[in-house]
Amino acid sequence: MNSRIETASRAPAPGASRVGPKHVLGLFLVLLAAAPLVLPDFYVTLLNYIGLSALVALGLVLLTGVGGLTSFGQAAFVGLGAYTTAWLTTSQELPGWLAAIGSSPWLALIAGLVLTALVAIILGSVTLKLSGHFLPLGTMAWGISLYFLFGNMEFLGGHGGLSGIPALKLFGFELIENRHYYYLVWAFVLLGLFTTRNLLDSREGRAIRALKGGMVMAEAMGVDTSRARMVIFVIAALQACAAGWLYAHLQRFVNPTPFGLHIGIEYLFMAVVGGAGQVWGALVGAGVITVLKQWLQDILPKVFGSAGNFEVIVFGVMMVIVLQRARDGLWPLLAKIVPVREAPRVIDASAQPLDKKPQPPMGEMILEAKNVTRKFGGLVANNNMSLSVKAGEILALIGPNGAGKSTMFNQLSGVDTPTSGEVLFRGKPVAGHQSREIAGLGMSRTFQHVRLLPKMTVLENVAIGAHLRGSKGVLPAAWRLDRVEEARLMREAAIQVERVGLGEFMHTEAGSLALGQQRILEIARALCSDPCLLLLDEPAAGLRFKEKQALTELLRRLKSEGMAVLIVEHDMDFVMSLVDRVVVMEFGEKIAEGLPEEIQKDPAVLEAYLGGV
Amino acid sequence: MKLKNLFVMTAAALAATPSLADINVGVIASMTGPAAALGAETRKAVSLFPATVGGEKVNFILLDDTTDPTAAVKNARKLISEDKVDAILGPNLISTATAIADVANAEKVPMISVAPLDVSGDKRGFVFRSEPSADLMVQRVVADMLANGVKTVGFIGFSDSWGEVLHKALTKAAEGKITIVASERYGRADPSVQAQALKVISAKPDAVFVGASGTPAAMPQITLRERGFKGRIYQSHGVTSKEFLRVGGKNVEGALIPVGPVLVAEQLPDSHPSKKSAVAFVQTLEAKYGADSRSTFAGASWDAWLLLQNAITGAQKAKIKAGTPEFRAALRDGIEKTSKLVGTNGVYTMGPNDHAGYDASAIVLIKVENNHWKLVK
Amino acid sequence: MDAEIIAMLGQDGVTNGAIYALLALALVLVFAVTRVIFIPQGEFLAWGALTMAALEGGHLPTTVWLLAGLGVLALGVDLFSATGRRTIGRSVLWNLAYPLALAGLLWVLPLAELSTWARVIVTLAIVVPMGPMLYRVAFQPVAEAPVLVLLIISVAVHLAMVGFGLLAFGPEGSRTTPFSEAQLELGTLMVGGHTLVVILASLVLIVGLYLFFDRTLYGKALRATAINRNGARLMGISPALAGRLTFFLAAVIGVLSGVLVAPLTTIYYDSGFLIGLKGFVAAIIGGLASYPLAAAGAILVGLLESFSSFWASAFKDVIVFTLIIPVLMWRSLTSHHVEEEE
Repeated sequence: MNSRIETASRAPAPGASRVGPKHVLGLFLVLLAAAPLVLPDFYVTLLNYIGLSALVALGLVLLTGVGGLTSFGQAAFVGLGAYTTAWLTTSQELPGWLAAIGSSPWLALIAGLVLTALVAIILGSVTLKLSGHFLPLGTMAWGISLYFLFGNMEFLGGHGGLSGIPALKLFGFELIENRHYYYLVWAFVLLGLFTTRNLLDSREGRAIRALKGGMVMAEAMGVDTSRARMVIFVIAALQACAAGWLYAHLQRFVNPTPFGLHIGIEYLFMAVVGGAGQVWGALVGAGVITVLKQWLQDILPKVFGSAGNFEVIVFGVMMVIVLQRARDGLWPLLAKIVPVREAPRVIDASAQPLDKKPQPPMGEMILEAKNVTRKFGGLVANNNMSLSVKAGEILALIGPNGAGKSTMFNQLSGVDTPTSGEVLFRGKPVAGHQSREIAGLGMSRTFQHVRLLPKMTVLENVAIGAHLRGSKGVLPAAWRLDRVEEARLMREAAIQVERVGLGEFMHTEAGSLALGQQRILEIARALCSDPCLLLLDEPAAGLRFKEKQALTELLRRLKSEGMAVLIVEHDMDFVMSLVDRVVVMEFGEKIAEGLPEEIQKDPAVLEAYLGGV
Repeated sequence: MKLKNLFVMTAAALAATPSLADINVGVIASMTGPAAALGAETRKAVSLFPATVGGEKVNFILLDDTTDPTAAVKNARKLISEDKVDAILGPNLISTATAIADVANAEKVPMISVAPLDVSGDKRGFVFRSEPSADLMVQRVVADMLANGVKTVGFIGFSDSWGEVLHKALTKAAEGKITIVASERYGRADPSVQAQALKVISAKPDAVFVGASGTPAAMPQITLRERGFKGRIYQSHGVTSKEFLRVGGKNVEGALIPVGPVLVAEQLPDSHPSKKSAVAFVQTLEAKYGADSRSTFAGASWDAWLLLQNAITGAQKAKIKAGTPEFRAALRDGIEKTSKLVGTNGVYTMGPNDHAGYDASAIVLIKVENNHWKLVK
Repeated sequence: MDAEIIAMLGQDGVTNGAIYALLALALVLVFAVTRVIFIPQGEFLAWGALTMAALEGGHLPTTVWLLAGLGVLALGVDLFSATGRRTIGRSVLWNLAYPLALAGLLWVLPLAELSTWARVIVTLAIVVPMGPMLYRVAFQPVAEAPVLVLLIISVAVHLAMVGFGLLAFGPEGSRTTPFSEAQLELGTLMVGGHTLVVILASLVLIVGLYLFFDRTLYGKALRATAINRNGARLMGISPALAGRLTFFLAAVIGVLSGVLVAPLTTIYYDSGFLIGLKGFVAAIIGGLASYPLAAAGAILVGLLESFSSFWASAFKDVIVFTLIIPVLMWRSLTSHHVEEEE
C-alpha cells in the first residue's frame, strides 16, 4: 500500500507545461519589487490603492468566494481600522492609557484590530447564523449604520472627518513618499495572500471550503460550521481593518465617505470580478477595477467630449458583460493563458500514523434506537422505530421508496431531531445532539445524495473525514506550523483512499468521478474519522458488479475488525449476501426484523415489496 | 485583460502628454455622486475659461472625483505626476479639498479650493480658496436676524459635512445673541422632513435657518410652510441656483439667502465693487447656458480662475517657464500677493497670513420674491 | 410631545411606509421568481418620478430615448440568440416599433396640457417596458447563475442606471404637483389629500397583486415558479417568460411608487437607492418570502423613521438600519439545524 502512495506522489503529469507555480510566483515578486523603481509616480500611487483594495478583496475571497457568505459591509471595517488610528493618533484629549497607544501608529493598528475583532464577533454572532440571502442584506444594513455613526460622532470629526494624521515611521524612517509606502502596502498584501493561501490548504481550510455547499456533510464529519463561519468573518474583517489603517496613514485624512455602502459594494465587485474562488482573484479584481476606472476617466472624455457623465455607465455595462461571459471571474481565464502546472500534493508515507480510538469489543451494543418517532406536521415519517447494531455486525435497513429510511438515518446521526423516542450510541443518549458531536463519539456516515466538494481532490475530500483527529487551528495553519500534523492527516486520508480502491484517482477532482465512485469516496471519508459505527446510505447504487464485489469485501473486512455497520440499500442481492440481520420498514414503521433468509420469506415483507402476492 | 488595459492606458497617457510650453491647469470637481450638482456648476465655469493667457496656451484637465476623497487624491496625484499641472482648481467639497490639500502642499503645487476649506495655520502652504468661509456668510444671516428682532432660531440642516459646517457657524455667530432652540438633521434624498419640521415648530423659534444646499434645501422650507410656520426662514449660501426656485415654487417665497453678488448682479448698486465683473460673467455664462443658469458656485470657480490667471500673468512677466517648479512657486507667491482682485463673488486680497482673502462687505442678502432673486437693500 | 404630534408623525410614517411597502413587495416578488436581489428597484421609482416631472414641465422626457436604446439592445440580444421568426417578429414589435411609436406620439402630443391621469399613463408607458427589456438584456442570459452573481449584476445594472439617470435628468431634483390639494380634517389632525391618495393607491395595488396571483393564470404561473423553478418549467411555464413578467410587475410597482412619492418630496437621479434600501429592510423583516409580513415591516420602517427623525434626526438612518439587527436575531433564534444553501 505504501509503495502505491509514493509513486502517486512522485508522478509528474505527462505533457504538462514546464512552468511551475514557483517560477510564476518568483516573476511576480520580482516585478512587484521593481515596480516603484521604474514606474512613474502616478502608477505607484495607483498600485498603492490597488494593494489596499486587494487586501479587503482578499478577505472577501475567503468570506464570499470560498465560504459562501456575501458581505457588503467590508468598507465599514476598513473605516473602523482607519478611524481607530486616526482618532488615537490625532486626538489631544485622550485619557492616559489611550494616549500611550496613540503615541505610535503601530500600537493603534493593534488597537484597531482588537476593536474590529470585537465588533466582527458581535455582528457575526447576530447575522452569521442566517441563511444565505439575509446575510448580504444584513451586512448592508450595518454597513450603513456604521457609516452614519462615523459621520455623527463629534469626537471622530463628524462628516468633516479628521485630518493631520501622522506619517508612519518604520525603524525611524518616515514613510511619506508613495514609493516607500508602496513596499509597506504590498508587504501587507503579500502577508495576507500567503497566510490566506496557507490557511485554505490545511485542516481548518478544508472545513472552510466545505461551508459553500457542504455544510451538512461537514457537520457530519465533526466540523463546527458556525465557528468556521465566524473565523472567516473575523479574518476578513481584520484584513479590511488593516487596509483601513494603511489607508489612513497614506491619505493622512479620513472622513466617512470612503467607508460607505457604495465602496463596500465596490470591494465585493472586485472580489467577484477577479474570481472570488481563488486568492489571486482578489489581486486581479482590485487591479482591473482600479485601472479600468482610471482608464475610463482618461478615454471617455475624449470619446464623448465631457468628463464625469459616462464613466459610471460604461463601467456598469462592462461589469454586466464580464459577469455574463465569465461567471467565475477573470482569474480562471488568466490562469488558462498561463498554464501553470499544479504539483500534486506530496504524501509523506513516513509520517507518524494518527492515533486510533480503541475499538469496542466484538458484540458490544453500539447503537440502539428505541421507539423513535418523527413527525413533520401531520405526516409521520418514522413511527415507533426501534433497531440496534452491535460491534462486528452489519445491519441492513430496507424498505420501499419513501418508507422513511433516510429520515431514520437523519434521526440517528443528529442531522434531525426525533419528535419522541431515544437514540443511544455506546450507551449515551444522542437524540437531538448536533451531528458533529455524534461524529466525535465515533459514528460516521455517507449520504444518499452524494455530498462532496466537487472542486477539491479526492484526497482532500477524504481528509475532511479526519477533521476531528487533528487539532491545529487557524493561526498555525496560516503560518505553516501545522505541517507535521497535516502530513499525518494526509497519510491517513491516502491510506483510506487506497483502502477503498480509489488510489489511481487520488489527485483527481472529486466532481469528475463517476457517481458510484463518489459513493465509495464517501465511505473512505467516513472511515477516515476512525469510527466504530458506519451508517451507509445506499452505498451500492450506481456501482458495477466488480465494484460491488470489492465493496462487499471491504465491508466484510471492516466487520471482522469489529466495525458496526448500518446500511440502507435497495440492491437485494448485495444486501442478502452481506448482512447479518435485516430490519424492514414501510410507511415509517418497522414491519419485520430477522436474518436475511427469514426476511426473504416473510409474508409482510413480500406484500410490501410486491404489493401483495 | 489587466496587462492590456495598462498598455492601452499608458498609450493613451502618452498620447495625451501635453507639450511642455503650455500651461496646464487641473480641475477636480464632483461631477457624479451626491455633490454632482456642485460639480455641474464648476463644469460650466470651466467651459468659459480662456484658451490662452498672455499668448501662452492653457490646457484644462477636468477630472471627476465622484464626491469621494480617495478618488480626489488619485486625481490630484495623476494631475501632478502625469499631466504635470502647474496648478489645481477645485474641488467642491471640504472633505475632498482637505484630502487634496496635503498632496498639493507635499508636491508644492498651488491649489485654489472652491470649497470653504480651512486655510489657517500650517495647512496654508500652497493652498488657497476662492469661496468665502461659512462663518462670514452666516454672520450676515445673524446680523439680519438681530436687525429684525429675532431672539430664537431653529436649525434644520443636512446630515453631512455641509450641514455640520453651517451648524457650527451658526452656533458661533449666534452665541450670546440668539438662542438656538432646535437643531435637526436630514438627508438630501430623504422622503420626508415632516418630523424634523414638527420638532422645530414645537420649539417655537422666531426664525429658522436651513443649512442645506441646492434643490434639497427647498424641502424643509416647503414642509415648514405647509405645517403653518409663519416666521422668517433663512437659507444658506449653498442655495445658489434657479433650480431651487423651480423645485420650491410658492413655498420658498420670502426665503432670505446670504450670497456672493453673482445671483443678483444686475440689481447691485453701481457702487458695489463686484458689479461690473459679476455682470460680465453672468452675461457670458447665460449666453452659453441659457437664462437664469447663473449660480454662485460657478462664480466661485470663475473667481478661482481669476486668481490663478492673475498669478500666471505675473509669472509670465518674470519670464518663468511654465511646467517648472519655479513656475509653480511663482504662481503660489503670485496668488499670495493678490491685492484687491475684483471677482464675481467679491474682492480678494491675499497675504502670507490670509489665503482666503475674501472681503466680507461683498456679501449681499437676497430674498425670493415672485419666484425671482431680489436684492435686500 | 403631544397627541397631535404623534398623530402627524404617524401619518407621515404610514405614508412613507406605504411607499416602502410597494417596493418591498416588488423586491420579494422579483427575488422569489428570479432569485435576483433587485437593487435597481429604486431606480424605477426615481425614473418614474422624474419622467412625471418632465411631463409636467412640458418637456419630452429623456427616458423615451433610454427606452429606445434599451429596446435596441434587447432586440440585439434576441437576434443574437435567435430562436424563431415569430420570436424575432415579436421582439421587433416590442423593442423597436413600440419605443419609436411612443416617441412619435409624444412628439405630437401637447405635453404641457395633459391631465394628471394622462401623465401617469404616459409615464407608465415610457418607463415600465424597460423592466422586461432589462431582464432580457441583463439577467435572462444568466438566469441559472448563482445568487451572488445575479446580485453583483444587479448592482452593476444599478450603477449604470444611476449614471443614465444623471445624464437624463441632471443633478438637480424635481417635485410634481400633488394629485389632490385638498386638506381633510380628521379630528384635530389635518390630512393632506395626497397622503390619502398614496395610502389608497398602495392598498389598491396590494389588493390588485393579490387578485393577480390568486385568480389569474399568469399569476398562478409566477407563484408556481417561485415555489419550484424546475417543477414549473416541467409544467410548461417558461422561466424567461416568468422573469420578464416579474420585471414588468416590478417596474409597474416602481414607477407607480415614484409617481406617488414625487409630490411628497424632491426626487433626484440617485434618490432611488436609499428608498429602495428601506424597502429592503422591510422585505427582510418579511423574510423575503411573505408579502403581508413585508408590508407590515414597511409600515414599521416608515413609522420608525418618522419617530426617530423627531427624537434624534442625526441618528435616524442608524436607527432604521439597526432595526434589522434584532429582527435578524429573532430569525436566527428560530432556526436551529444546519441547512444547505444554494
